[in-house]
Amino acid sequence: MTDTGAAGARVGIVVVSHSRALAEAAVGLAAEMVSGRDARIAVAAGLDETTFGTDAVRIAAAVEEVDDGDGVVVLMDVGSALLSAEMALELLPDEVRDRVVLSPAPLVEGLLVASVVAAGGADRAEVAAEARAALLAKDTQLDTVPAEEPAPAAEGHLTGSFVVANPHGLHARPAARLVAEVRRRDADVALRNLTTGAGPVPAGSLSRVATLGALRGHEVEVSATGREARAAVDGVLALAARSFDEVAVPGPAADESATTPSAGPVATSPGVAVGPAVRLTTAPVRVDERPAGPPEAEERRLTDALAAVRRDVERTRDRTAPGQAGVFEAHLLLLDDAELTGAARTGIEAGVSAAGAWARAVSALEAQWAALPDPYLRARAADVRAVGDQVLRALAGEAPVQAVDVDGVLLADDLTPAQAGGLDPGRVLGVALAGGSPTSHAAILVRSLGIPAVVAAGAGLLDVPDGTPLVVDGTAGRVLVDPPTGVVAGYRTRQRELADERARDAAEAPREAVTRDGRRVVVGANVGSVADARAAATAGADGAGLVRTEILFLDRDRPPTAEEQEREYLAVLDAFAGRPVTIRTLDVGGDKPLRYLPQPPEANPFLGVRGVRLSLTRPDLLRTQLAAVCRAAARGPVRVMVPMVSVVEEVLAVRRLLTEAAAPGPVPAGLRVGVMVEVPAVALNVEAFLPHVDFLSIGTNDLTQYTLAAERGHPALAALADPLDPAVLRLVGETASRAAGRATVSVCGEVAADPLAVPVLVGLGVQELSVAPSAVAGTKAAVRRLDSGACVELARRCLAATGAAEVRALVRAAQDAPPSA
Amino acid sequence: MADTVAGEVSTDDLLAWVRAFARLVEENREALTELDAAIGDADHGANMHRGTTAALAAVDGAPPASPGALAKKVGMTLVSTVGGASGPLYGTFFLRVGTALGDAATATPAEVVAALRAGIEGVVARGRAEAGDKTMVDALTPAVAAAEEALAAGRSWTEALTAAAGAAAAGRDATTAMVARKGRASYLGERSAGHQDPGATSAALLLAAAAETLLGRGAAGST
Repeated sequence: MTDTGAAGARVGIVVVSHSRALAEAAVGLAAEMVSGRDARIAVAAGLDETTFGTDAVRIAAAVEEVDDGDGVVVLMDVGSALLSAEMALELLPDEVRDRVVLSPAPLVEGLLVASVVAAGGADRAEVAAEARAALLAKDTQLDTVPAEEPAPAAEGHLTGSFVVANPHGLHARPAARLVAEVRRRDADVALRNLTTGAGPVPAGSLSRVATLGALRGHEVEVSATGREARAAVDGVLALAARSFDEVAVPGPAADESATTPSAGPVATSPGVAVGPAVRLTTAPVRVDERPAGPPEAEERRLTDALAAVRRDVERTRDRTAPGQAGVFEAHLLLLDDAELTGAARTGIEAGVSAAGAWARAVSALEAQWAALPDPYLRARAADVRAVGDQVLRALAGEAPVQAVDVDGVLLADDLTPAQAGGLDPGRVLGVALAGGSPTSHAAILVRSLGIPAVVAAGAGLLDVPDGTPLVVDGTAGRVLVDPPTGVVAGYRTRQRELADERARDAAEAPREAVTRDGRRVVVGANVGSVADARAAATAGADGAGLVRTEILFLDRDRPPTAEEQEREYLAVLDAFAGRPVTIRTLDVGGDKPLRYLPQPPEANPFLGVRGVRLSLTRPDLLRTQLAAVCRAAARGPVRVMVPMVSVVEEVLAVRRLLTEAAAPGPVPAGLRVGVMVEVPAVALNVEAFLPHVDFLSIGTNDLTQYTLAAERGHPALAALADPLDPAVLRLVGETASRAAGRATVSVCGEVAADPLAVPVLVGLGVQELSVAPSAVAGTKAAVRRLDSGACVELARRCLAATGAAEVRALVRAAQDAPPSA
Repeated sequence: MADTVAGEVSTDDLLAWVRAFARLVEENREALTELDAAIGDADHGANMHRGTTAALAAVDGAPPASPGALAKKVGMTLVSTVGGASGPLYGTFFLRVGTALGDAATATPAEVVAALRAGIEGVVARGRAEAGDKTMVDALTPAVAAAEEALAAGRSWTEALTAAAGAAAAGRDATTAMVARKGRASYLGERSAGHQDPGATSAALLLAAAAETLLGRGAAGST
């Protein structure tokens, strides 16, 4: 050694690190490689044993320590290590500085190689070069797998891939789930279809994701950069592993062969309909390309139309069973799709009308989808068209939802989801579609409404004249056109049995709903407009348990006057002809800001300034609304209800404003004041509220959301956000038992109309239910079947249940048991 | 001190400046750490506090013979005690200031400003940061430029220092909108925008300390 070493050099090595422990461990590793040989290594790491940091003075000293005249190679970790090492050079005498090399090699790999090479007598240039090459060796080793990995794997990118397991590929609903997942993250995420080479496309754009044409079995690469890149990639992979939470469509639709259009009428929704044929034709929307005003005005119109349609789609979604609401989530994402709206805005800036620019942007996107090779994905172009038409109608000032008002059996080529979701089961007896498929959104929605339906019945169906007697057998998958009387009679008998039951309920509806043992349960309606109120009154509602007033405040440049509001409230009061009406004060938040009430964007609007919190920041608005309520209260039984209350001070503040609003007169004697129980804190602290309220109305939708910390309408959390969770039921029970005899307790969430929930709520002591107008008759009928004593016992067992599933099982078991039990 | 020439900066003045800087850093320790937590590794407050405390301790009891020697001593102490990138950067700043001031017992305002300019050039060379990179340079550069302009326009030392402190604060504020291109914050890219740079913040404290202490001397001298 000494002989070769005599000709060789003795190069020193300095290890610069923030951490002394790290440096010393690395030196320990290196020492093993050169055991027995003389490695001149010094450490300049950490400010002391445990304080991270680098120190130029210490580095300079270390260099001098190991410099034997042949120079020193300095290896560093990150950040200030470089600055400190550079600074150390300045601190060194000129002749020493000239023989120091700062090496860009990775610390550990570089140190191992450098110490071996230096111990072998190499000069400092060789040592530095070998150290630098250390990473190349590692690269080569690893590159055997991703050797031809192209650009996306470049620095900062995290990647992963998944194989699409969904039967229909990454179509609208799974794509919407993916987009929603990605948008939650602070990361730029791109997708590439590795099987076809399509992409990369931004994963935050639903329209672009769909153009990947990712079918079942295709491999898709996810790459992400940004702060939450890891979480984004992991989230997408986890979602893909769950098939994007797509639930297998029950019934005939689960059979994939049923999607073949030629299979002839396919049963999609069980039951029998007998009635006259009514064909649905949709007039195309006229589009005028000439702008009505300057681009700013046109852009404003588009923004308003998008907002209006968004609200409308949200309303339809909220009416739809959670499992089937995914298509509307997809529609909402399309409305927010930066590619689509961006293209439209570019058109507007170029001087086209809002409608013209929007129509062009929609057509372009629709064409992109329609060009996809997979028939199922191609059919999703219909979603784009449906949403696009909705916006065009809003721009044209037409009714935002094209209501399908027919009495009879509906015949159509296909239905848009909005049309299907808006069908009135009381009037549309059955549905027969010439096209469509059991997996179409329309079919799923029609089924959720309980309307018997068949699809894929063939184009010939559309030639059937209006009024022709039809039988739709949604159980067997048959459409009978003008069948023999005997056949009709058989179907009619079956149908009549079902209809009789519905009719009995409807006929009974106007009467009070009383349990078998004589306990009265008030069943009111949730209404958002005068039209709703009339429908609810006709349906037999015992008043309005919830009048949403938001519609008066949205889509305008200034708030409604007291007179305007008073007119509306009186019209609702008149519709109910003396039955009580509960007016909820304005309930909006940062998710739907009003133009005249600008709110800074909030990271989590549902935990932000909303409901009464917002109202108390603008007491003038609330005072005006309360003034209108007071005036209406002089004319009939009015209650006023405050949303999103958390603490007693909020109630006191509203009461003060109420006194001011009533001035110069007193607050009308008959006006009852209550709060919504949506925040768990109110249910838990209900005693504190009782002295200040006449009634409590439990908003189970929000109470569930806040109790289970599960966002309302989040497609992946539908199972978690279950209002029958025992935790939610306990809050309801606590509220009802403490308030008993001191304040009326009602429930105005969707759960009030759930036949499984009604006995539990009644058993917990809830005195009033408020449901959608269409659910009034059914809810009253459900109440009449109950025995309140049995309900109390059932509720007691439900409170002890381990979860919502057990609650449901308990209720079902109780319903199956003989009434005497 | 009795032997100080009116209007000139003495070793004691420089010591007062360092003392004020250490005090401001101590008072703003948590704020600096919070700023750093947003876009860096949350150690700027602790690092600067450790460094300035040590630097003050090194010169407080027995001040070096000249302003230049004091600045060098402060610089070397910062280099060895700050730990993070601010160590070599602030260390370089004070070392260059010290070198520029030389061994003279006092310095004129023009000499002080020239020394600050040398200090900044050292920082720029060390960190390879340019104006707009969202670093301490964005506070230091406009500050020294403002002082130079004020003196060139014949304004008083008081005005020059006030202008420098004001420009440093404005430069610090301007870093909020910038996208970091140097240091750990640069890993965040666009997401670093919206956060005030911690290095520019401590640099503004350095100029505020200068205005607070040297100004008193200069004001006395200018009347």
